[in-house]
Amino acid sequence: MAQAQAITMTKPSGNLTSDKLQFWLGLLIIFGTVLIPDFMGNQYYTHTFQLVNLYIGVAILQNILFVDAGQVAFGMGAIFGLGAYVAGIATGMHGLSYEWGIVLGTLAATLGGVLFALPALRVQHFHLGFVTLAAAMVFPEMLVAMNKYTNGINGIPMPTSALTQRLPIGLAPLSLVIAAFSGLMLVLHVRMRRTKLGRRMMVAAASPEAAQSLGTSPGAMRSIAFILVSALTGLAGTLYPPIVGFVSPSAFNLDLSILFFFAVVVGGRGQPLGPILGVYILYLVPNVLLVQFVNFRLMAYGAVALAAMLAFPDGIIGSLEIWRRKRQLRPEDDGALRVDRIIANAETEFTDKPLAPDAERPVLVEVHDGRKSFGNVRAIDGVNLTVRQGEIHGLVGANGSGKTSLLNVLSGLSRLDSGSLSVKGRDITRMAPHRIARLGLGRTFQAPRIFPALSIWGNLEIGIDGRYDKAEEALPVRVQALKEALSDRSAEYLPHGQRRIVEVMRVVLKEADILMLDEPAAGLSPEERAEFSHLLRVLSRQMGKTIILVEHDLDLVWGVADKITVLDFGRVVASGDPAEVATMKEVHHMFVGKKHA
Amino acid sequence: MSYELAIILVRGLGLGSIFALLAMSFNVVHSSSGILNFAQGNFLVLGGFAAAFLLASPPDMAMWWIMLPVATIIVAALLSFHGWITLLPLRNSTEQDSWMISTMAVSIMIGAGLLITQGPFAQTVQSAFASFRVMGTRTPAPYALCFVLMIAWFLWLKWFHARTLTGLAISAISQDMEAARAAGLRVRRLQLLAFTISGLVVGSTGFVAAPVLSISADSGFRYVLNGFIAAVVGGMGSNTGAVIAGPLLGIIAMVATYQVGGEYQNFVSLLILVLILMFRPQGLFGRTAARRV
Repeated sequence: MAQAQAITMTKPSGNLTSDKLQFWLGLLIIFGTVLIPDFMGNQYYTHTFQLVNLYIGVAILQNILFVDAGQVAFGMGAIFGLGAYVAGIATGMHGLSYEWGIVLGTLAATLGGVLFALPALRVQHFHLGFVTLAAAMVFPEMLVAMNKYTNGINGIPMPTSALTQRLPIGLAPLSLVIAAFSGLMLVLHVRMRRTKLGRRMMVAAASPEAAQSLGTSPGAMRSIAFILVSALTGLAGTLYPPIVGFVSPSAFNLDLSILFFFAVVVGGRGQPLGPILGVYILYLVPNVLLVQFVNFRLMAYGAVALAAMLAFPDGIIGSLEIWRRKRQLRPEDDGALRVDRIIANAETEFTDKPLAPDAERPVLVEVHDGRKSFGNVRAIDGVNLTVRQGEIHGLVGANGSGKTSLLNVLSGLSRLDSGSLSVKGRDITRMAPHRIARLGLGRTFQAPRIFPALSIWGNLEIGIDGRYDKAEEALPVRVQALKEALSDRSAEYLPHGQRRIVEVMRVVLKEADILMLDEPAAGLSPEERAEFSHLLRVLSRQMGKTIILVEHDLDLVWGVADKITVLDFGRVVASGDPAEVATMKEVHHMFVGKKHA
Repeated sequence: MSYELAIILVRGLGLGSIFALLAMSFNVVHSSSGILNFAQGNFLVLGGFAAAFLLASPPDMAMWWIMLPVATIIVAALLSFHGWITLLPLRNSTEQDSWMISTMAVSIMIGAGLLITQGPFAQTVQSAFASFRVMGTRTPAPYALCFVLMIAWFLWLKWFHARTLTGLAISAISQDMEAARAAGLRVRRLQLLAFTISGLVVGSTGFVAAPVLSISADSGFRYVLNGFIAAVVGGMGSNTGAVIAGPLLGIIAMVATYQVGGEYQNFVSLLILVLILMFRPQGLFGRTAARRV
């Protein structure tokens, strides 16, 4: 193994994201604009900026839901209104204390979030957007229709709250509460991305299959996102009545939902400062500066959003961020990175050793008479497969012979029509994919699931996040070194072949003991292939992994595999030791013009 | 009883035909580009406005026939322009969801424009055709005309997609956009054409249905919602599904109006949407697409 090329591990000059800067700036803006007008005693601006900053808090939550959790939810105004209205009904109509109003309002909004999450388990994308948008449209209609409980179109006046009485320090408690709330939402947004939950959510949003293969249930992530965001949005809603002193159906119509969504898009999706800028442009400017043109407020919403979409497809802050990142691009970012070298360098002492005989190694993966059809096509047609512990099992065959279908069935992403599967002696025929993954199965995909929103290290770290049911343990030194070297490197510019290696390393870091690799060597140069073969041997012989390898490069497979199964039209045509399989006449047509021992 | 039943059935069918026409106009654009035009309902309302402006009241029969294509073409032209704007950012951006924002923004702008110029009150248009009687109840003619229009557009679209080269090309895009592009189809131009056709469908619908349509600044989204539900219940992309689901939905909406009151009509629609998405997301006639891993 050549150690010739040293890897430059210099610390990069710029940061991968400007989250930190945006965070502090955002915090400054929120606290400044809430507290200064109140301190100066200007009632109009105090009131205006209390509302603006409350909306900012909700828009930040919308940002988390839409970008980090990938849920197209247009109707958050209804959730906000639910919190506000239930608090209003509790205090204004039933004379409960405001504390009860907060509790009940938040609970109601959480329940609303559960209702939003239900369709999200079945449908995504614009279908979900439509359902939530329709809910936001129906919500004020229901407030009017159920006038027995809501006081209908007249709305509910609120008793004056102690929150609005200014304290001796010259500030109303309400201002402090709102500044603290929106500030905390900003903290939540920036911090959550650095947590296990935040990363799992992001992966589930970007690629449900990848999430499942890492043991994460996308449905659970969506539910958590909806419920968390709805509860907090409802909490924000309960702060609305004391600001305005009144709740009425028209305050929570469709425009409000659209404001929250557009604020994120215009400001810059995923950017901490985005919602702040978005609310300023879409709400503050039309409502304060253009107050005499109140009829044009809606027009301004639409026009600004459309103009922003055409001029800054990534939002205003988002476009600035892209420009900043381009400027900071360093030469070594440009595809020169060799992840496999960093990893292979760590494995200096390696002695290849022969595998124990079959009888001594337990069966880890077994397919029994598996069948799967897509319409008239029999993708898997009575397949039997046995993979024993520690072996590298090559799966070869022409395009469409059923190799990837078999991997999909084994990882639970599609179901067998008949037959059975077992992993480590457990029947997994009907098991959910994320549960199969938690048995210690890991897989890579033909189209590598690399997430440009994360650094290269982040792309590896989500593998560590995939260690479910395992105690938190300190990272070994060499993984720590990886973290230091790759934390600030963008995954966006990683060449294709290296993306596959990153994916392989991700499942290794997941501590999967059965690795299913789908054409991992495609896109690698001959030299890289040799190194990759070496990596496979290290994984198998030194780390004790069992590997199922789907690969078109037959030289590589025959060079590295312990067992080979040949598939053709969904059937197993040959299986056994490499040397034995190579002599079988069923497989000869595969080696036209090639020689194999 | 039979009197009420007749009203529910006939008006439900007519209203449902409008939903089905909207659903078909969604399908044309959706199958060519994956875009679902949030502003479609506003263009329907614009068709109604065109009728309000172009027709005297009471309208003259000859003028009605002359103005039908005029209003249709005006709406189609506006919708084509809207389509052009919507497709613009998709040309060289990896972000392929911008249409959600741009079509919603246009929807808001049309609504706001109507509010500024027309005020919040609904326009009324008188029917050029005499009302007819079904089981003793007087029924405005546009309910029947909408049904006829639905059948006409359904048959034309069927012919267009199956028999014309352009229609086949649009179908090819819906099957596989990359392959269609590789085969030399001018995908953008065909997508724009799909927007134009959807404009012809909603423009004519808005004009014909004008006397029974709610022609006001804020009703666009209500129609989008119901049209979308018809498309989803029928199965996204299936016009056969749309002409069955639309009238079905119209009748249910009418029953809801009679039984629980008009203010719950949208709530009932939302309920239907959630139920169908929960239990049969591909709709009644939709195909389940195989997922590529």
